[in-house]
Amino acid sequence: MSIKTQDLQTRGDESRKFFSSSFSVICLLVSSLAVVVLGTLLFSIFVTGGHWLSFGFLTASHHENDPEHSGIGQALMGSLLICGICGLVALPVGVGTAIFLEEFQPRNRWLRMFHGLVQLNINNLAGVPSIVYGILGLTAFVYMFGAFNSIRVNSQPDFEIGATYFYQTKTLGGTYVKFPAVAAVQPTLEIQTDVSGTSADGRWKTYEVVTKFHPDPDVPLEEQDQPSYLGRESTSVYRGEIAKLIQKDGFDVYQAQTVSGEAFTFPAKPTYNQFAKILEPIEVTCPDGETFKLNVLSKSDPMPTDDAIKARSVFADSPDPKKRSSASIFRENSFFHLHIPFSKSVLSAGLTLALVVLPIIIIASQEAIRGVPNSLREAAFGMGATRWQVVRGAVLPSAMPGIMTGAILAMSRAVGEAAPLLAVMGGVLGTTNNLSSLMDKSPVLPVTIFKWASDENAGFENLSAAAIIILLVVLLLMNSIAIFIRYRFEKRMGT
Amino acid sequence: MTTASSEGDKPRPVFQVRNSQTSKRWQAFMVTCLVTCSLVSLLTTVGIVAMLIFESWGFFSDSRINVWEFLTGTSWTLGQTQGEMSYGIWPLLSGTLRVTGIAMMIALPMGLISAVYLSEYASKRVRSVLKPTLEILAGIPSVVLGFFAVKFITPYLLGPLGEFKTFNAMSAGIAVGILCLPLVTSLAEDALQAVPKKLREGALGLGATRLEVTWKVILPAALSGIISAFLLALARAIGETMVVALAAGSTPTFTMDPRMPSQTMTGFIVETFKSESVVPGTLAYFSIYAVAAVLFLITFGITLVGQIIRMRYREVYD
Repeated sequence: MSIKTQDLQTRGDESRKFFSSSFSVICLLVSSLAVVVLGTLLFSIFVTGGHWLSFGFLTASHHENDPEHSGIGQALMGSLLICGICGLVALPVGVGTAIFLEEFQPRNRWLRMFHGLVQLNINNLAGVPSIVYGILGLTAFVYMFGAFNSIRVNSQPDFEIGATYFYQTKTLGGTYVKFPAVAAVQPTLEIQTDVSGTSADGRWKTYEVVTKFHPDPDVPLEEQDQPSYLGRESTSVYRGEIAKLIQKDGFDVYQAQTVSGEAFTFPAKPTYNQFAKILEPIEVTCPDGETFKLNVLSKSDPMPTDDAIKARSVFADSPDPKKRSSASIFRENSFFHLHIPFSKSVLSAGLTLALVVLPIIIIASQEAIRGVPNSLREAAFGMGATRWQVVRGAVLPSAMPGIMTGAILAMSRAVGEAAPLLAVMGGVLGTTNNLSSLMDKSPVLPVTIFKWASDENAGFENLSAAAIIILLVVLLLMNSIAIFIRYRFEKRMGT
Repeated sequence: MTTASSEGDKPRPVFQVRNSQTSKRWQAFMVTCLVTCSLVSLLTTVGIVAMLIFESWGFFSDSRINVWEFLTGTSWTLGQTQGEMSYGIWPLLSGTLRVTGIAMMIALPMGLISAVYLSEYASKRVRSVLKPTLEILAGIPSVVLGFFAVKFITPYLLGPLGEFKTFNAMSAGIAVGILCLPLVTSLAEDALQAVPKKLREGALGLGATRLEVTWKVILPAALSGIISAFLLALARAIGETMVVALAAGSTPTFTMDPRMPSQTMTGFIVETFKSESVVPGTLAYFSIYAVAAVLFLITFGITLVGQIIRMRYREVYD
């Protein structure tokens, strides 16, 4: 008796088969959408930005309102430097953590708890949005939780090396003179809070601003060594005009008038980044004997606000000769310039990015270490090696290709990361000085792309696309290196 | 039989013979170093939590701020130009939910179907095209996708479909969806691959079609992994910053209309940093931390739930 195929088939068999095969077609169509999306994305970007690529574009810096001559020279350098810092910090720490998690199962009860906690924590850290890391970087590296020098205004950072301060001013004869600024004669701004009154709705208060020189609050004035070129006048107290607390763009700011009658504003709370004000002109004798009027402008330090710059230029151009000369504190940095807190600098940015990629590096390294066959470890133990010697001599070398691949992939994530850098350094597009030390700000590639893409000048749109092409090329290079390393090491290991 | 090799062929000794006391001391030193390294990641979490608590306290302790209004208010004007100050989180939160919702509507079905295709159907040749494509897509920085959303999705894809504003929730949502797609696909594919082959073969042997095997056997078996993949993608979409900063606009709106601009929580934070008008110690400065605290609580909660699901409901096969 023969069985016909018909007999085995249940009802609706045809439609079942039809559904199954049509589902596979739908699957294929949906999956290939990804290819379409990627193709469209690359195509549209190359069409928009392709013809803007030139050697000049690679080397020039950003020029306001001038897309023709703008470029990504500084941004590219900044990105590479920041990623370098990020890698130098994140790689050892990440690999160290991975080794600890994978190879050292502690017997001590507390250490074992610590071990479990770290492992649990890594997975959660990987899910934290990068902008939150940015805010952490801002708080922890830029301001250092306000622990240093956050109360006294206009004073230098608590710890600083590699910087020389000097006053620079224009004499009545029109030449510029420099003379050294000693920390002891830096003007200090004091804001007394509880003065005249409060408005009916409680939204603004009237404050009295008093500016005075604080040579050194702990030493009586008579006993202090005064720099001869500034004279005793510098210690006199000047009573400024009333500054009002107002709302500008939704933020609390003080508003006051300069001597020349210009209104200017400065931040409301004397915490981190303070603006100061212009003092009455004082007479100064230079070391070379020339006498000139000097208006001392106490500048916000380390980073001047726009208002500070504005007030200075208003002053320098004033037709009144009495007000023509102004001196402000300038700073010359050496390459090893370093201060605490790190403020908005390349170093803060690099450290922040290191925190962002740390979980990625740890997870990738853990996987690479887990992939090392146990026989290698056992052989090493059998020869009497300590646990660290096993790790150093057997596990790490054979896990290295995996670790390096993971590290480079993490770095390529760091290169494209914009949000944390925006938080830490702000939207810097170009700086007047080239990068000279780790304490400088620098534009970076992703932030430049972001700012250009949202620029009102339509020309920058195309530049943004061109910058994206460069970014993608950088990413492509990094990934090729990763593939090359994997290939090379695998061949040598013979696995 | 091995033959005697010449001196040059001998591998260099990896370990130096040392006094074992020295080795042990060296090991203790190295373990201390490793523990210090691990401490960094732990301190990062502690730092984030402490920072969010202390600095949000600066926001909530301000006499002008009422916590209840922050949690329930439907208007947000901090960081905007002059006007009545209001600080209800809902416009920002709903903006995030709108963009995330659209993104998930794209990324979850597409990601799951792609994962099923890659894991169950795809031939080697199709795989060799699709896998690298998804990997490249995963490596594209989000700022690039934001650019793509503004310059391509809004004018060319959405333009013909209706009255979309220049910056709208829809195009940001689509771009975030594209961003999450490779993540969903690769995680879901891992979950599908973890289902043992004998389940497939058993079902096929009983006469099930491919579709039935996938739908009735593989997907239920991989469900915990798939859900945790979905949750990770959700957390990623909520925390996504640069796409929404570029494409979703900078107006907080409280509406369900995807054609309107919709500033998200991350968008607000970036907008405030970009304008550089934020001054430490002011209300606007502290509001960043309050918004970031809400953002962190949501994403942290989702990641945690995802991990718990993956660990507790995993079907274990041997």
